[in-house]
Amino acid sequence: MTIGIPQALIYWKRPLFWESFFENLGFKFLLSPKTNKEIVEAGVRVADPENCFSAKVFFGHLLWLDRKVDWIFVPRLKTNAEKLEYCPKFFALPDLSKMLVKTPILTETFDEKKEPFGKTLEKLGRKLGKEKKEVEEAREEAFLKEKEAKKEKREKFFKKIKEQGTKITLVSHPYNFYDDYVDLRIEEKLKKLGAETIFIEEVPINETSNPRPEIQNEDYPKFHWEFGKEWMEKIDTVLGYNITGAIEISSFQCGCDAVLKEFVEKKFKQNKIPFLYLLIDEQTGEAGLQTRLEAFIDTLH
Amino acid sequence: MILCTKIMEKPIITFARWGNYTIAFKTIFDQLGLEVIPPEPTNSATIAEGAKIAPEMYCFPLKTTLGNVLPGLRKGANTVFMVQNIGGSCRQRYYGAIQKKVLEENGHRINFLDFRATPKDIYKTIKKISGASFWQIIKAARFFFKELHLIEKIERKAQFCRPREIKKGATSQILTESLSRLGELKEEKDFPKLRKEILKSFSEIEIEKDKKIPRVAVVGEIYTVCDPTINFDLESKLGKEGIEVHREMDITYHLKKLIFPWKDWTIQRKINPYLRSTVGGHGRDAIYEMLHYVKEGFDGIIHLLPFGCMPEVTVRPILEKIHLESGIPFLSLSLDEQVAEAGINTRLEAFVDVVRNHYNSKQ
Repeated sequence: MTIGIPQALIYWKRPLFWESFFENLGFKFLLSPKTNKEIVEAGVRVADPENCFSAKVFFGHLLWLDRKVDWIFVPRLKTNAEKLEYCPKFFALPDLSKMLVKTPILTETFDEKKEPFGKTLEKLGRKLGKEKKEVEEAREEAFLKEKEAKKEKREKFFKKIKEQGTKITLVSHPYNFYDDYVDLRIEEKLKKLGAETIFIEEVPINETSNPRPEIQNEDYPKFHWEFGKEWMEKIDTVLGYNITGAIEISSFQCGCDAVLKEFVEKKFKQNKIPFLYLLIDEQTGEAGLQTRLEAFIDTLH
Repeated sequence: MILCTKIMEKPIITFARWGNYTIAFKTIFDQLGLEVIPPEPTNSATIAEGAKIAPEMYCFPLKTTLGNVLPGLRKGANTVFMVQNIGGSCRQRYYGAIQKKVLEENGHRINFLDFRATPKDIYKTIKKISGASFWQIIKAARFFFKELHLIEKIERKAQFCRPREIKKGATSQILTESLSRLGELKEEKDFPKLRKEILKSFSEIEIEKDKKIPRVAVVGEIYTVCDPTINFDLESKLGKEGIEVHREMDITYHLKKLIFPWKDWTIQRKINPYLRSTVGGHGRDAIYEMLHYVKEGFDGIIHLLPFGCMPEVTVRPILEKIHLESGIPFLSLSLDEQVAEAGINTRLEAFVDVVRNHYNSKQ
């Protein structure tokens, strides 16, 4: 039996975990290919025109997997381990996916406000006909793999930080900057211009200080979104290192980014760090982005 | 010293407009002896003003509510009321934070009262600003609910009378008159008399009671659905075309849901085949209402949403699916600062034709 995983949106929240989890359980899995023009076009055609660009890309991946696999895995991510919510658009993804494809959707609600992660995985395993023990083993192994990747990321970050030259923080969702087609290879472009990119996700949260400050920071409201809190904390950390500039990328019609942008921008401006805000959608041209990046890099010197 | 002046300074309140219910909100502050500058009616000028300083990507109600309070601030108001967390997981939660930031950046020195929509938090905020006693607040709240109830009642009456009236335009005129009289009301003891008079004037409208006419329901995001100045007076436009408009969404509906959570459970049970989770805001309610209206045999559904509203955009494919399954005419209108009335009119006219055809084919 083959399980298909759309390589978009929720996949990037835990990139390695799901692959190795299903593999350890003894299933074959098929990852949809990297985003390309056809996938985006297919997604744009079926999605609601006002939905965010990232969701449109997701539907494109979903359509690519249709009829190629036995199951398509679309989890319903609601709250994470810190009891903070994911984007509300994730809540309805399994239901919307069901309407679009003929292949059955494999889903489970991950709501850690109500149920610990492991228990939900057990339920998922039961759906696939697997014993509790098997699921646990698969989970542990997947966690290990994830941990290793995290360690690697950390090392990469400190290596980048130590280097001399222009360093630019890229603030965005993982599904924007790990997807080369969606962010128009911004990392490569910046490298050509002589700048090193630091993804906000790579930044380790300050481990020495209290990870969850009790007193609310006055600069920004208490976000109920997991990425809101994560971004702000990581920005605080990254400001402690020597950063030359900051770029935020958000996909068009991303509702959460409309809120976060205000506070991200404020934070960087308070610290006198040049800030560039880029919007991406299915019509973004590469030439336009190149010009803006060049101009931005010029202002840094 | 600065602290002293801040405390001594008398609060002059302004707040965002919300359709005809603004009158009821104003009474709360009036009853507690606070000075209020009521928000100006929403028009293209206030919307443009709000949109100019608001974050570009933000949803439409933020821009209009910001535009609403700006004239008040120019007239000398120093305190702004904003409710947060009406809709669970949606962006409305951050309206207060964003508006405070935007207003401060534009040089307004204000006291921004951002409170959660729970009875306890509302009470605490009002108590802090007015210093009124418990009984005064309870009394003001009672008056508020009386007025709110009356406004919602006459709105529903108007929805019923408008398509049936013999003298065209009579209902809208009486509705406007009644609302302005209600707005001028000062004392609670005069309320029963006024209520009687208003209801009497509505019963005096000459209507063809037995006329069979098509019925259309309005579903969607609460702010756009309830505020006639935002949705280009959709209800009276449809009424004039001889269509009875229904809508379930109003403040009482929302408050009931807030106090009695089991309403949400019923809704979830009803919509389980379509959506198995909340999506924030009133996303689930739109599906529930649409299913309900389809069952009741309505002749059309209009879905209103601010452009890019997260919950409503998420559920729209589901509403479209219901529309395809049941064959009920469906029109979804996204509203923002760039929507022109002429465009809405054209689409409504076309929709009215579809509704009439649907109605006639059923006969």
